[in-house]
Amino acid sequence: MAQLAVENVTLTFGGVAALSGVSLAVERGELVSIIGPNGAGKTSLLNVISGFYHPKQGRILFEGEEITHLSPHAITQRGIARAFQNIELFSGLTVLENLMLARHTHLRYGLLQAGLFYGRALAEEVRNRRLVEEVIDFMELEPYRKALVGNLPYGVRKRVEVARALALSPKLLLLDEPMAGMTLEEKEDMVRFILEIRARGTTVILIEHDLGVVMDISDRVYVLDFGQVIAEGRPEEVAKNPRVQEAYMGVEA
Amino acid sequence: MRNPWAQTGNYRTRYEQDASIFATHRELVSLLLFLGFLLVLPQFLSRTQVFILDLILVYSIAVLGLNITTGYAGLINIGQAAFMGVGAYTAALLAPAGLPFYLVLPAAGLTGAFFGYLVGIPSLRVKHLYLAMATLAFQVVFEWTVGHLPLLNQGGAMPLPRVSLLGYEVGFRNHYHFWYYVSFAVLVLLALFFRNLLRTKYGRALVAVRDNDRAADAMGMDPGRTKLFAFALGAFYAGVAGALYAYLSRAVVIEDYTFAVSIKLLAMAIVGGLGTLVGSFLGPAFLELLDVNMEALSNLIKALGFSVAGVDVASALRPLAFGLVIVLFLVFEPRGLYNWWRVVRSYFRTWPFRY
Ligand SMILES: Nc1ncnc2c1ncn2[C@@H]1O[C@H](COP(=O)(O)OP(=O)(O)O)[C@@H](O)[C@H]1O
Ligand SMILES: [Mg+2]
Repeated sequence: MAQLAVENVTLTFGGVAALSGVSLAVERGELVSIIGPNGAGKTSLLNVISGFYHPKQGRILFEGEEITHLSPHAITQRGIARAFQNIELFSGLTVLENLMLARHTHLRYGLLQAGLFYGRALAEEVRNRRLVEEVIDFMELEPYRKALVGNLPYGVRKRVEVARALALSPKLLLLDEPMAGMTLEEKEDMVRFILEIRARGTTVILIEHDLGVVMDISDRVYVLDFGQVIAEGRPEEVAKNPRVQEAYMGVEA
Repeated sequence: MRNPWAQTGNYRTRYEQDASIFATHRELVSLLLFLGFLLVLPQFLSRTQVFILDLILVYSIAVLGLNITTGYAGLINIGQAAFMGVGAYTAALLAPAGLPFYLVLPAAGLTGAFFGYLVGIPSLRVKHLYLAMATLAFQVVFEWTVGHLPLLNQGGAMPLPRVSLLGYEVGFRNHYHFWYYVSFAVLVLLALFFRNLLRTKYGRALVAVRDNDRAADAMGMDPGRTKLFAFALGAFYAGVAGALYAYLSRAVVIEDYTFAVSIKLLAMAIVGGLGTLVGSFLGPAFLELLDVNMEALSNLIKALGFSVAGVDVASALRPLAFGLVIVLFLVFEPRGLYNWWRVVRSYFRTWPFRY
């Protein structure tokens, strides 16, 4: 059984179909990429999986459970985390606080314990702080720990966005163009992080425009165009597909 | 080991230390000294002067609550005085029935929280101006209901009985001093409680829904529940403040909890610095002291019989000063008095070393 199964999903915005009859299956531990021109429906697909939009038709199963109509927080609690394409961080908080927010549902103490900051609350904060520090080390964000997110350069904010999703300790990680607008060096770092995340056993769905990167690191690739899956398979199969070459004419060199 | 007293920077080495409130020993000691000063202060003041301090303390509690809802969670609330009123009327009903004040205060907080929760429900769907209208609606409904309920004397004065604590009777002579110490203790307790919340998931969640409730949702927290919590907690503080205000004025009248008071509380929060803990004390202190001084000044002008073209300058002075100060703050220092305090503090943090 696939860890994530998107079955025949259709999503419309006022009559315009952003997704029509999209199906997708991802196995545990896979790194699956979604490519396609701008406006193809890639972000919409992630929105449907993470519960921000609910499809008109079709259903979505995660580890055998139907999550089609659950709210985003309920889906996050089941182990799906997401890094947004348009950075959606808490800009008035520090990097550390942003990541601690990802531990929200893992922090188990009551209001009174929190107000007295005693016993359970202190222990849980320290335990989760340790975990967050591991993510900070891993994503090489040490110099920015106490910096306000709003003041950080774009490339670093992109990295914090991924780090925060990772701090949720997800089973499935959805990455929406995590390398867009980055310098070559930053991109290489991000590729390294993604490969390492996958190596640790987390399933990854990646949306990425750089075909070189996609072909290099993906186990499988889905190609979306006009809200439909036009090709699917291993990178080298997809690259040879004539419909893909057609869809990418003029879009990618 | 480093001398902790000469410490001017942050040298924390463990996460436990990082979670502590005060950066240096000096800051903690300064605060304790200041609290000690506030404890002895009333002994050197007249009853009227202590009464003004009482008002500052009680309003600080309500403004702290408003800061929780509006400052930290970003949910506009222009009905905070109505939540104070809910607490005050709770006191007016429970105190004559014989409940001691130290039980009346938390009960008033809980009724406040209950109404805060209900009034918060529209915040699940609407934001900004629309939410402002919803809280305004509560203020209006509150005033209308009180005005029509015989149980609440239709807004007329409902007296509160004298209180006693461990056989100590509070009478005319020690009334203001007694409520000073009670309000002081309650404020310190509630401020400490919230300061602690701020370094836990409850505090972070408030700021998260303010900054980006979509992202908050993606973090696995229910933004709706967080907003209801912000309203309930802010109204709890208002409820407690309302009961204290009721005891302090020995009676509950609707005029003390009207829309104008809600605006005053909002002004205090803004002048102090919206979304800051310290601002919750600075704002009420500043505006109350301003008011007292303007009143003195206007009495002086009245005594001199001074008037410009038949306009009663004396009675116009107080509202004018109030309005002017708010406009000046909005234009020149929107971050409020907190910002001045921050500058002073960072100066003293490195004192006596200057660089
Ligand atoms: N909230 C929305 N309201 C209306 N149309 C939308 C909305 N979100 C996406 N769309 C439309 O759906 C289509 C797919 O968009 P999107 O999923 O963002 O594409 P991609 O991420 O592949 O660039 C586009 O035509 C876009 O205009
Ligand atoms: Mg997109």
